[in-house]
Amino acid sequence: MTNILDDYALMSPLRHINNWLKLAIVFFGLLAGVSSTSPITPLFIAFCMSFATVAFGRVPLKFYLKLVLAPAGFALTGVIIIAFFSGSGQELISFELAGYPLAIRADGLELALLVLSRSLGGMCCLYFLALTTPMIELFAVLKASRLPESFIELSMLIYRYIFVFLDMALSIKYAQTVRLGYSNFKRSINSLGMLTSTLFIRSWEQGDKLFLSMNSRCYDGKMALFEVHRPVKVVEMFLTSVYFLLTLVLFYFTKNISIV
Amino acid sequence: MHIMEGFLPAPWWQAWFAVSIPVILYGIYKMNKLVSEKREILPLLAVAGAFIFVLSSLKLPSVVGSCSHPTGTGVAAIIFGPAISAVLGTIVLLYQALFLAHGGITTLGANVFSMGIVGPIVAYLIYKAGMKAKLNFYAVVFLATAFGDWATYVVTSVQLALAFPAGDVLTFAGFMSSFGKFATVFAVTQVPLAIMEGALSALLFKYVVNVKSDILVEMKVIEDAAVKKLRGTSV
Repeated sequence: MTNILDDYALMSPLRHINNWLKLAIVFFGLLAGVSSTSPITPLFIAFCMSFATVAFGRVPLKFYLKLVLAPAGFALTGVIIIAFFSGSGQELISFELAGYPLAIRADGLELALLVLSRSLGGMCCLYFLALTTPMIELFAVLKASRLPESFIELSMLIYRYIFVFLDMALSIKYAQTVRLGYSNFKRSINSLGMLTSTLFIRSWEQGDKLFLSMNSRCYDGKMALFEVHRPVKVVEMFLTSVYFLLTLVLFYFTKNISIV
Repeated sequence: MHIMEGFLPAPWWQAWFAVSIPVILYGIYKMNKLVSEKREILPLLAVAGAFIFVLSSLKLPSVVGSCSHPTGTGVAAIIFGPAISAVLGTIVLLYQALFLAHGGITTLGANVFSMGIVGPIVAYLIYKAGMKAKLNFYAVVFLATAFGDWATYVVTSVQLALAFPAGDVLTFAGFMSSFGKFATVFAVTQVPLAIMEGALSALLFKYVVNVKSDILVEMKVIEDAAVKKLRGTSV
């Protein structure tokens, strides 16, 4: 059904690196990528983050490429619309489709490439975080970030139950599939309806049980968390600063470059 | 409709965060009040959030060949109301960005606004209006979820059109032309998807009413008399 990236994060060799350092790298990449004005900086970020994920994080290259290509559908539709309909400069290609004149203009194409590269850069940053940092490590960061207490509690409980219900949904789905529950369209809808409603009722009962069990263990709205102290190594600091500096230099020198 | 990471340029992603954050804070305030009144609600909210996440990661049987997922927030809005759905939606969207790379961090504000705020509000309003008009419960659920989905998709198109208006400068004509294009292209997947999700939600409630209707009565989603009528048992 879906690859939960968290499984890879738990096995990642980069798991034990300081969380704040990883978050700084990711947020720096996201912000630099989204505010860059040429496609070169986001592509450089995408390359660096992919390299870090695959080489340092030891994620299989084939699996990683599959992940990066997965959300391409939305990106391509959006980018094609932008390429065709925005811009007012010189026309590069023009043709007629069912009576409608369509044209790609130079500045439209430029904008489309920029948006595509920004998406790619941002996604590589997100994948770096997702594939190297399990959610349990991030809860400590959330706690320190002074978000409302109930919001964090809710996040932690939701996280816990995602896996329980995912297992449940998968086993129901297998059971339905071997009984030909998804053999045609009408049956699929019916089976999916049964699956979701069973899931709903079971999750509700689980909620009741959870309340009882947590109450009997003196739950007062706060779960205590243990944050492991992880000092930043010199090599990591050095690599990060080199990456930051290179990105900023590239950002500065390519801000007025146009590709098309 | 998740907007991908990096898709919205500089002033827009911040703007959507600015719009969404007050609503989320209001939702948290409402939730805190509810939890302090009824302590057993917090675990229920947690499992509901996990349920939405799992629901949104199930693939719907697709009509046009693209893979499509239900959003699940319509169901949450009917059960918990829009304010709490916004909080649950935010957490679910954050997890989707981190686990499945659906959506993103900088576009989180825009996605929360379309999927966690506008969609549930529309669904909730239609649900309330329909129940007041004493329409069939399942028909109301179908309409509420389907229109909630459509509202989400219209808002997403508006967000994209505002960020990328035709003719590069934001004018009303440029916005409208660009909005038309985004809306037309996304309609191919979103119109059937919303109908599917509406049908799925109606089926969900049908099974729940048949098997364990006391949950819904307890949450004041539906009245006891209405359940008896739906099940065909006399009072």
